[in-house]
Amino acid sequence: MTPTRRSLLAAGAALPLLRAWPARAQRQPGVLRFGLSSFPPSIQPWVNTGTAAATVKLLIHRGLVSFAPDGSLRGELAESWSNDSPTTWTFRLRENALFQNGDRVTAEDIRWNLEQMAAERSTAYYRAQAQRIARIETPDARTVRIVTMEPMVTLPLWFANYHMMMVSPRSPTGAGTLPIGAGPFVLRGQERGVALDLEAFDRYYKPGLPRLRGIRMVAYADENLRVAALQAGDVDLIEYVPWQAMASIEADPKLRLDATDGPFMYLVFNATRPHLGDARIRRAIAHAIKREEIVKAAFFGRGSPLEGLPLTPGSTFYDSDLASGWRYDPARARALLAEAGVPNGFTTSILSTAQYGMHKDTAEVVQQNLAAVGIQAELRLPDWATRVTLGNRGQYDIAVMGTTTENNDPDGLSTLIDGSLAPSYVRSIGLRVPRIEELLAAGRAEFDEGKRRAIYAELQRIALAEAPIVGLAWRSQGYAMTPDVKGFKALAGALNFFSGITLEEASIG
Amino acid sequence: MLLWTARRILVSLVLIWIVATVVFTVIHLVPGDPAELLLSSGGMAPDPAAVAELRERLGLDRPFLVQYGDFLGRLARGDLGASMIDDHPVIDEVLLRLPRTLELIAVGAVLAVVIGIPVGTEAALRRGTAFDRATSATAALLLAVPIFVVGTLLVLVFAQWLRWMPAGGYVPLAQDPWQHLTLLTMPALAIAKGLVAVVFRMTRAAVLDSLSRDFVRTARAKGLSPTRILVHHVVRNAIIPVLTVLALHMGTLLGGTVLVEYVFNWPGMSTPLLKAVEARDYPMVVGIVLTISVLFVALNLVMDLVYAALDPRIRHA
Repeated sequence: MTPTRRSLLAAGAALPLLRAWPARAQRQPGVLRFGLSSFPPSIQPWVNTGTAAATVKLLIHRGLVSFAPDGSLRGELAESWSNDSPTTWTFRLRENALFQNGDRVTAEDIRWNLEQMAAERSTAYYRAQAQRIARIETPDARTVRIVTMEPMVTLPLWFANYHMMMVSPRSPTGAGTLPIGAGPFVLRGQERGVALDLEAFDRYYKPGLPRLRGIRMVAYADENLRVAALQAGDVDLIEYVPWQAMASIEADPKLRLDATDGPFMYLVFNATRPHLGDARIRRAIAHAIKREEIVKAAFFGRGSPLEGLPLTPGSTFYDSDLASGWRYDPARARALLAEAGVPNGFTTSILSTAQYGMHKDTAEVVQQNLAAVGIQAELRLPDWATRVTLGNRGQYDIAVMGTTTENNDPDGLSTLIDGSLAPSYVRSIGLRVPRIEELLAAGRAEFDEGKRRAIYAELQRIALAEAPIVGLAWRSQGYAMTPDVKGFKALAGALNFFSGITLEEASIG
Repeated sequence: MLLWTARRILVSLVLIWIVATVVFTVIHLVPGDPAELLLSSGGMAPDPAAVAELRERLGLDRPFLVQYGDFLGRLARGDLGASMIDDHPVIDEVLLRLPRTLELIAVGAVLAVVIGIPVGTEAALRRGTAFDRATSATAALLLAVPIFVVGTLLVLVFAQWLRWMPAGGYVPLAQDPWQHLTLLTMPALAIAKGLVAVVFRMTRAAVLDSLSRDFVRTARAKGLSPTRILVHHVVRNAIIPVLTVLALHMGTLLGGTVLVEYVFNWPGMSTPLLKAVEARDYPMVVGIVLTISVLFVALNLVMDLVYAALDPRIRHA
């Protein structure tokens, strides 16, 4: 058929009717549609499989305690807990806490969970911590007494972590099965690589919660498509808002952004390589970097300089003077290089990855800043998998790293600066500072808040001098949602990835 | 013919073995340890004991040749193994994902044929006119603009500005046919973009070539109607090379839908392949690449057999 003017006009007139097409699936009342940053590779509760998996775990499972929206600890399966002696913690379980198969959560169940995590063939993220438990006593069905090998003030924090969830010992086993949790939502189905469907658990132990009837979690690996899906109304809430989209979301009256500084970028060193074993050189590097440029180049201005150890400003252990100990000072950097015997600098390399823009952009800024004080660094930008392996094996000079601490307690720094731990790409290689190790151990064993503050102040002072890592920048971590999503809150600081816990109080419409 | 066919099948099997060996070797040689990566998610430091335990459980602590022998043994039994990430059988993943990619390619090809052949024919018939110039320029533009630009523009215009379509995603056909087709529209258009241009250009060239042939002049001299000459003589002769080129492009697209699947969140074969490479999930990488290779080899084998059946010179060469 030859198109005529009349048919073209008719087609044009019909265009607005296209809006009436039911192009989108009808939204189910009370069901929140959550845009995940990736499909969780696995939601086995004790294994670390990333932050998208963590959000899902926080819906299906609960631990003994959790982080409240203000960051404090609150009871979950345990209604209360007490510290009976430096090595003994007692948790009192709720009477009404049930697993999703209807079984009551008992002290024996908690013991079984901890024993499984500590077992020889366990791949639990908290395996090492679980192995520091000397014994577990269960005087009655609701009381769990945990005795540690050494004093452990941070023990309740372990039990708030999403890698320490408690599951039913009577869960099905075998391929394709998942442990049964005691959380507010039950996993009802999943389309591999596409979406997960969760339904409210009607016997959840908190009266009136969860408020939602269900949650459909759809994975959008492309960050721009994730934003587009929110703007198009395909989803109600998204995680990992890309920094370049934050301004447009803030400007959009139909959307709301909830962002907070939490994760951070930093440098680690291979101290066995020339010059990098010298603390003066590492401090010179720390003073050579103009961190505002990193925040601008890598995070579109969404972040802030990190000029000390990564302790969040809201923390009681935060000290504003110590927090700016590595501020940009190229003259000081040059003086330190001269003091170390290399006034004209030296050549080295920076390991990062081309796979993630923030890692690559950060490395480029560091490279330029180091060149300005005479340190010529060659960039090595393999894919992420190779970068992790090279980092774990210590096959690098300087490396750019990005992560968050496990919680807002300064003991979370251990993973980054305790050189006695096994080699890992998250901390420097071949770099041990005995005093830092002593102070970390002392801080972990100290129950007096004032004394702990003094310990960590000294720790920060030593770290500033020794530079076992060099902080670069805090990066903003954001969730975006439609205004009809109520009750969801992004947790501050290192707890940002725990924000999924507030979905039990979320509602829509 | 039988001996020739047997030889071709044997060559195909050897090719598949070579591909399997190369992929298996390369993915194992590339730095990056699956156990380390899985337990390092989110920038966390894994417990070395847990990594060692996982490596043992996955069989990664065994010598390379032992792993290779095991792989070949399983392959001979038709077992592609299981994902190192979650123990999911690779064959199940392939069977789930492959039809989605094939559907995308098939719909893109249908669009290419439906649009490219008539427009290409019309452009050839109106050679040198404004229509010919405009369509040729459009085809050149479609070929020149990268697929991710077109995909992003489609999302921006139809999902974000007009809000006529969902931004991306997937719903199984059996669950909601209308939603399935809606979600298929934009990725299929993005896939069709390049194919339409190729089919258009091939058709235009082939029709122009046919129009100057003796049999067309003879048909005109016999007094056949222009429509009959066009449909029964010109297009029929011109369409053979067009479909050959289209088939070759469809084969290439089996491994080339990565960007479209990524931009539109279409869960076909490319996404798990990309993820598997990132995570060094060896069985998944080898299984998916092998599946694509087998399809390629099978396609070539069928084409060889058909050509040989049609032209005895080929099998006697």
